[in-house]
Amino acid sequence: MMPTLPKKSFNLLNKKLLSLSMACIATVISFAQAASDVIPPPQEFDPSRWNWMNILICTLILLIVLVIARAFDIGGLAEKITGKKIVNPHKINAIVGIVFLILSFIGVWYEIKYHGKYLLLSDAASEHGAELDSMFMWTFGFTFVVFIFTEFLLFYFMIRYYYREDRKADYFFHNNKLEIVWTIVPAIVLTFLVLRGFNVWTKITQTPNDKAEEVEIFGYQFGWKARYAGEDKQLGENSFVMISGTNPLGLAVEDEADKLNASLQTEIDEIKVKIASANDSTIIWRAALNKMESTGLNNTYESEYDALREKVLDAESGSYVRLMEKEIKRKETNIKRVDAFKSKPEIFNKAAYDDRVTTEIVLIKNKPYMFRFRARDVIHSAYMPEFRAQMNCVPGMSTVFPFTPIKTTTEARKAKGNDKFDYYLYCNKICGAAHYNMKIKITVVGSEAEYKTWLASQAKVVAPPVEATPATPVSDSTAVIPAIAVN
Amino acid sequence: MSTSASHAADHQGHDHHHKESFISKYVFSMDHKMISKQFLITGIIMGVIGMAMSLLFRLQLAWPDEQFGILEMLLGKWAVDGKLDPNFYMGLVTIHGTIMVFYVLTAGLSGTFSNLLIPLQVGARDMASPFMNMLSYWFFFVSSVVLLVSVGVETGPASAGWTVYPPLSALEKAMPGSGMGMTLWLVAIALFIISALLGGMNYIATVLNQRTKGMSMNRMPLTIWAFLFTAVLGLLSFPVLLGASLFLIFDRSFGTSFYLSDIYLEGIGALENVGGSPVLYQHLFWFLGHPEVYIILMPALGITSEVISTNARKPIFGYTAMVISLMGISILSFIVWGHHMFITGMNPFLGSVFMILTLIIAVPSAVKAFNFIATLWRGNLRFTPAMLFSIGLVSFFISGGLTGIYLGNAAMDIQLHDSYFVVAHFHLVMGSAAIFGMFAGIYHWFPRMYGRMMNSTLGYFHFWLTFATAYLVFFPMHFMGLAGVPRRYYQFTLMEDFSVWADVNKLITISAIVGGFAQLLFLYNFFVSIFRGKKADQNPWLSNTLEWTSPIDVRLHGNWPGELPTVYRGPHEYSRPDRELDYFPQNEPDENAPEVFAPVVKIESPKEEEVPAENSVFFAAIKRVFGLSR
Amino acid sequence: MDKSINKKVKDPMPLIPPAKFTLWLFMLASAMLFAAFVSAFVVHMPDGEAKNMWTSFDLPIYFFYSLIVAVACSVTIQMATNAAKHDELSKNKWMIGATLVLSILFTVSQYLGWKQLVNMDLTFVNRRPEDISASYVWVITVLHFVHILAGVILLLVALFKSIKLEIHKKQITFMSITSTYWHFVGFLWFILYLFLYFAR
Repeated sequence: MMPTLPKKSFNLLNKKLLSLSMACIATVISFAQAASDVIPPPQEFDPSRWNWMNILICTLILLIVLVIARAFDIGGLAEKITGKKIVNPHKINAIVGIVFLILSFIGVWYEIKYHGKYLLLSDAASEHGAELDSMFMWTFGFTFVVFIFTEFLLFYFMIRYYYREDRKADYFFHNNKLEIVWTIVPAIVLTFLVLRGFNVWTKITQTPNDKAEEVEIFGYQFGWKARYAGEDKQLGENSFVMISGTNPLGLAVEDEADKLNASLQTEIDEIKVKIASANDSTIIWRAALNKMESTGLNNTYESEYDALREKVLDAESGSYVRLMEKEIKRKETNIKRVDAFKSKPEIFNKAAYDDRVTTEIVLIKNKPYMFRFRARDVIHSAYMPEFRAQMNCVPGMSTVFPFTPIKTTTEARKAKGNDKFDYYLYCNKICGAAHYNMKIKITVVGSEAEYKTWLASQAKVVAPPVEATPATPVSDSTAVIPAIAVN
Repeated sequence: MSTSASHAADHQGHDHHHKESFISKYVFSMDHKMISKQFLITGIIMGVIGMAMSLLFRLQLAWPDEQFGILEMLLGKWAVDGKLDPNFYMGLVTIHGTIMVFYVLTAGLSGTFSNLLIPLQVGARDMASPFMNMLSYWFFFVSSVVLLVSVGVETGPASAGWTVYPPLSALEKAMPGSGMGMTLWLVAIALFIISALLGGMNYIATVLNQRTKGMSMNRMPLTIWAFLFTAVLGLLSFPVLLGASLFLIFDRSFGTSFYLSDIYLEGIGALENVGGSPVLYQHLFWFLGHPEVYIILMPALGITSEVISTNARKPIFGYTAMVISLMGISILSFIVWGHHMFITGMNPFLGSVFMILTLIIAVPSAVKAFNFIATLWRGNLRFTPAMLFSIGLVSFFISGGLTGIYLGNAAMDIQLHDSYFVVAHFHLVMGSAAIFGMFAGIYHWFPRMYGRMMNSTLGYFHFWLTFATAYLVFFPMHFMGLAGVPRRYYQFTLMEDFSVWADVNKLITISAIVGGFAQLLFLYNFFVSIFRGKKADQNPWLSNTLEWTSPIDVRLHGNWPGELPTVYRGPHEYSRPDRELDYFPQNEPDENAPEVFAPVVKIESPKEEEVPAENSVFFAAIKRVFGLSR
Repeated sequence: MDKSINKKVKDPMPLIPPAKFTLWLFMLASAMLFAAFVSAFVVHMPDGEAKNMWTSFDLPIYFFYSLIVAVACSVTIQMATNAAKHDELSKNKWMIGATLVLSILFTVSQYLGWKQLVNMDLTFVNRRPEDISASYVWVITVLHFVHILAGVILLLVALFKSIKLEIHKKQITFMSITSTYWHFVGFLWFILYLFLYFAR
């Protein structure tokens, strides 16, 4: 007995349906991508073209038709009537496979044609970027060949060797020569890529450059700040315990320390008063709650009632006081740590006084920079795609990334033909609700003079005529108000 | 343990034929076949939920300015005026990742097919410990419920990404999702780890210890090899995730500082926690996280190997090479976790080491891909839906795997890290590829599970629609990534540079919606076929392996009515020139050459409780592993 | 074909009792858990030392006493197993009992050790930044103790079985599982103690 397939109910109708719809779907889908770009400038793209409701409805209708056709088994009926034999589904699938392959390559080609110019694969704005780009091209060359070759083979074999009853597959288990070839060849190519990558990586990460100017990039929820050293060419020390509304980077400034401690002490005293009167407040709140219930106001002001009820429950269970005591402890620790920080003269050396905290990064072309990254609350990642640079900003840790910009903003604008173009540093590590809106502009200027003019316009941390640093914009204040502050 | 031991003992021979009540048959069943169905159905449900979530956030990405009234109806306060809330967007991303990685592709895939195939393909009556097997499912079930409940809590689900990096995940005040939602997430994951460990121990014990007569290691189907290595990876890496989450729980609830240091929160002030290291969590997490990728992928590769070999009517090309690559991938997967952390401030030298190790993994992976293709070469390819899905897997494995060479390279990772390029890479190589392996397995072993056939016409439509849309969804993401578009962004309207990708985002979303609806075809096919599908033959695909020798029309707790089958040859004897039939079941003695194929060592059934106690487990295990006995 | 299971068929027993095999796999998994803690410690330590934020302190002497007790536990449980193998049922019972007593001793000793840590101001939640090292010691010792508790349950069941004469030469799997497990937790404590002693 020859091996036979389980007979599938394939019939004339099903076959037509199958081949026709598949051809249609494959065509439509593969060209959809192309179509999205055929309207030449993507910026002027008209979103109404994608009438999503219609598309959804069409899909649904298609599916419903399919399901109904299936449910009534129209195919089986047709087979009974015609009594004809089925057509080879294997052949159909093989053909669809080839069509799919060709259409996908066309789709990729279209994509590259219309969006290729936006890819950051050449003209890097930093010195090391060129090397990354060239390595990308090498890797791309290798993987592209492998990709085309293997995907082609896969689909070619589909059509070359689809099932025919009169054939028998070859019976062989392995071929040492072939296997050795496709173990050794990838190994050699990968060795090449690894060595290259190793060299580039080492060069990028371990550049001890004394001339490099240090710039601090500071990430917080949700924004960035940059800090430039003043005349002493030295970035002053900082600590997270020093951070306050007027000192967002926590720099070692004596006034700020005193102010912070004073305000912390005031807050502690306020909380202590609240604790002392906790019993009385509980009674008052309870009375108010009871009154609301008895007068039926709890139905009218539901959310207020719920809030009050929660507060009463907290107060009565004692967790209200416990929370406040914890808060006092935290603030006292903060004061202690500020004092400890202040007592180290080698750190508290006034180096920070002439630093400049800015909301824009300005760099000079061809000048080596060493970026120092810090974060205040959660992990952020400073991503500068145009400069091929990225480094995580980790609270409690200082990370670095060196690079040299080689193209000014003006040059880049000209090259891109876009007058409004600007370099940006984006956040690239999930950090909260406004992660998508966390960027800082980078401007690369051509001359030291331009830079100096800009820097002079930025305020010093502690300037002789006292000038406060811009306050941290309150990001999402409703989400972060501590429990006790609700009072 | 005593109950499981005794239960396992009385499995070894007698009386499985006791009357089963509804509860013991369908709910707390200890039959591996029923448990595998439970895993599958739960996995499918979780998959539908995970997919629906992805459609929700894709809607937001494609039409950031539009208002969808239906969203407000569905999500209430999370979509006021029909616009998704950024916090909930993060939550959706996180839960989508968690569901897909752990609940669908770990439990749904490996849980289903390890449970179904290991006893059936190695010739065992059931798992080593059916009781633990049942527990494994129910831990998984409870864990799924907890995770789904976490989506509905007041402050929203965990939203720090599926990797839940502290401090974001550790600080309740850093984002709303890090409150109750995160706590429930941790509970769910802890339960999931227990489930995975219980399952994994069972799989390993069954494969190594309960193979039937003649089933030496080198005659095992590649599925079993894949499940074995998967289980070993899980057993070694999941405890580490447990440790990592324990530290996280301590930091969140007790105030320790394993991961926290030097933190100031807006509106609160400087926190007390000092001395910890956020990077430590990443080390611990990725020590699991990377093997986890292979825990997802390897069962799919194993399933593909069997399906391709069966439907190409041809022995798999390079069986030994396949096994060695699996082994190589498994071992290497433990020492490459650092490639997720090149730019976290880790020592650059460590980065180079991890880069070298990472790129070595490409070699066994390449061998596997080439072997799959070589198996097709000069075969007689039957395009059943399962076969098509397997070929789809190979295609995804290649296109997704090749981009791994870019990302494994520390230097290029500087630019590509956390961009859409990464999203494209892993969705192709472990998302789509693994889900295609799962589909291949479902279409192929559906007759084995339910005794009926799935409709193949619908299967073809399902395949081509899914295949095309998967490529349409994920392939354009490469281009976005290369243009420096960061992932996990709620919208791109505020970044001029990325606005040119608006139309691509729409294309992706539309493809995703079409692909999502294509899955309805599958669901319809699956659930209707369970009840109304055509009755299946005993061996519908004319396959060699043992699962088709156990009766498929009745569910038999114990798998074979008579003696366990004896195995005479490897699983891939298709199209042997000396035979008229193009297949040769493993359990069929060969009249022409009985000497060659007969099992070498004859095992007598020892009396219960006698031999085992005297035997050293260690040496016995070594003997079994090297196939010295039986 | 008859589709019901033939009750007369006798399958070959697996070479290793499934429960015992599973126990070995469990021990592997739990060893990995401790490996995770130990490596976290090892990764964290140089980091902390570089910043001068890592307390080195002497382990409480009670932890060493626990080690001795753990060794004793191993000896007695092995004697119990040997007794069962030779059908010396009463000796088996007494030895299980002795192990149980020793395990209580272990508990007491660990408790005193933790108390000493608290007295040294090294609490689970570190009071000072550099005391994060103590947090690790707490996590490791407490989780090890959780393993001991599981062992105590095993011992109680074994004792119960032994009293009911359900442990003897021909029915020894449970006994050998209990003893393997106790060797494991003992050995684990030995390794952890050595590690903490030298690394702290």
